[in-house]
Amino acid sequence: MPVKSNNGSAVNSFARAGYNAVVKRNSVFLTTIFVSAFVAEMAFDTVSDRIWDNLNKGRQWKDISAKYTTE
Amino acid sequence: MASLATKLASASLNRTFVTLPATASGIRTVFNRSAHHSSGDDDHHGHGHHESPATPSLPALKTTSLNSNRTFVTVPAGFVQQKRYNHSSARDTTQIPDFNKYKSGSGDASNRAFSYFMVGTTGALSFVGAKTTVADFLANMSASADVLALAKVEVDLSSIPEGRNVTIKWRGKPVFIRHRTQDEIEEANSVSITELRDPQNDAERVQKPEWLIMLGVCTHLGCVPIGEAGDYGGWYCPCHGSHYDISGRIRKGPAPLNLEIPAYAFDEDNKVIIG
Repeated sequence: MPVKSNNGSAVNSFARAGYNAVVKRNSVFLTTIFVSAFVAEMAFDTVSDRIWDNLNKGRQWKDISAKYTTE
Repeated sequence: MASLATKLASASLNRTFVTLPATASGIRTVFNRSAHHSSGDDDHHGHGHHESPATPSLPALKTTSLNSNRTFVTVPAGFVQQKRYNHSSARDTTQIPDFNKYKSGSGDASNRAFSYFMVGTTGALSFVGAKTTVADFLANMSASADVLALAKVEVDLSSIPEGRNVTIKWRGKPVFIRHRTQDEIEEANSVSITELRDPQNDAERVQKPEWLIMLGVCTHLGCVPIGEAGDYGGWYCPCHGSHYDISGRIRKGPAPLNLEIPAYAFDEDNKVIIG
């Protein structure tokens, strides 16, 4: 069974470009890892907060505080 | 296989030391010879199909008994001298399976990029986990929201007339607030700081010159000084006689430092938040 190689395909050249841009230098690779860790954490926190607020709409203090406090 | 197992077991029971050629095909040859000696079978791959004798021995090999429990078996020279084959002429013994089914078809660069992507993702997620753990422990140590709310005091400054002192309690300690007159501000600025024990400009000690806000704790031994008293028109500590001027700076007596200035901020509508 001959193996069909995709070494010249568009996906492969994209992967090579990504490798050369990110992984080739270790400093760039590590920086990318740490930066993307912060970005991923912020994204995760934002999304999970939004989901939580949506599920508990009208039941949290920030939703009902206007009824009990003046100002 | 059963014959091989029994042979190994009996060999270890009788403490038999067998000197065998180190190649796999050599071992296979020796065991084949011994197992199928009677039939003279030389088939290399016929192990599993034949019923082996119940107690197989090595009859083809010359056995030299040296003592009762140690037997040395000398393998004949013909087995040691293995003929070396190269790959083209020994296809039957070097059957390399076809791995094409398992080979990736997505190209070398894609595979490499995917591997490093997984490595990087693992690293990033581990870093997030480690950072969150550390942050949680640190957040556990810091003050909670209710404590922080109690730690701030809001004072309405519009109720304090000019030239008056007000003492409020903040975190269990007195805080002096003085609405200074223009004369007092000029007096505080006229002092040359070279003659001070703890040299400080008046501008360093106030945010707005008319409001002097400082901790009412004597820097000597922690008494509360009395306002509008002492030789310098400021505060006087009755415990050991420290005199502070109208900027709260130590001028006379045993205290080493000026009265401490807490962190505070002015609100827009004439209020100050201490803390």
